[in-house]
Amino acid sequence: MADESTFKQDLLGAIPSLRAFAMSLAQNADKADDLVQETLVKAWDKQASFQMGTNLKAWVFTILRNEFYSQMRKRGREVQDSDGVITARLAVHPAQQGSLDLDDFRAALETLPEDQREAIILIGASGFSYEEAAEICDCAVGTIKSRVSRARSRLQEILNVSGEADYGPDAISAQVMGSNAA
Amino acid sequence: MKPNMSAAAGGQGKAGNRSDTLGPNTEIGRKLKQYYDELVSDDVPDRFADLLKQLEDREEPSLSREPEREGK
Repeated sequence: MADESTFKQDLLGAIPSLRAFAMSLAQNADKADDLVQETLVKAWDKQASFQMGTNLKAWVFTILRNEFYSQMRKRGREVQDSDGVITARLAVHPAQQGSLDLDDFRAALETLPEDQREAIILIGASGFSYEEAAEICDCAVGTIKSRVSRARSRLQEILNVSGEADYGPDAISAQVMGSNAA
Repeated sequence: MKPNMSAAAGGQGKAGNRSDTLGPNTEIGRKLKQYYDELVSDDVPDRFADLLKQLEDREEPSLSREPEREGK
């Protein structure tokens, strides 16, 4: 069937984004790829329920997200102690002004609660609209907005960057102004 | 006179609001993109293409089963 091979091609095309989203959620490559695998199987089995012409990426993101949370719930009962690992990562070294390291950013992102992390990823990185993100997360648009906003504030706080647009290599003048203010 | 707040807020629009807070002009927005793009550009293991192939092959026998939902 032509439709089926199109569906397969579209699924294949969504894999890189799916893996990125899975990594953002699971923070572990093996778990992320297991999630993607499970998602692909589920998506394939549910393909009759996918409406052609609608956003396949949003659809598979929804499946992956549901899978992630159902696995989390299962694991939560098994190994509650692993939460301590996340807390330990909280100690992020504040970035030097103007040169925010990607590893620092990654560590800061890991400290966010899942709901905030997924919201800021969907909006700020995956390219979804607030409406689409709300649908993926099965919540109100306003909820997504407030999660994104809290996530952003938290990251700014941890990473010690200002909320306003920064002007690139202006770190020196920022430092000068900073010392004046102090 | 009055601070022209409505003009500043009104000029943003929906998309503008997002790019304002997480766009390429913000450090957080840039890092978020960088973080994510690095993940997206990661090489995809063959197991996923293999899996889809398997799923597709599995369907073959039931190819004759046509949707007959019109009557319902």
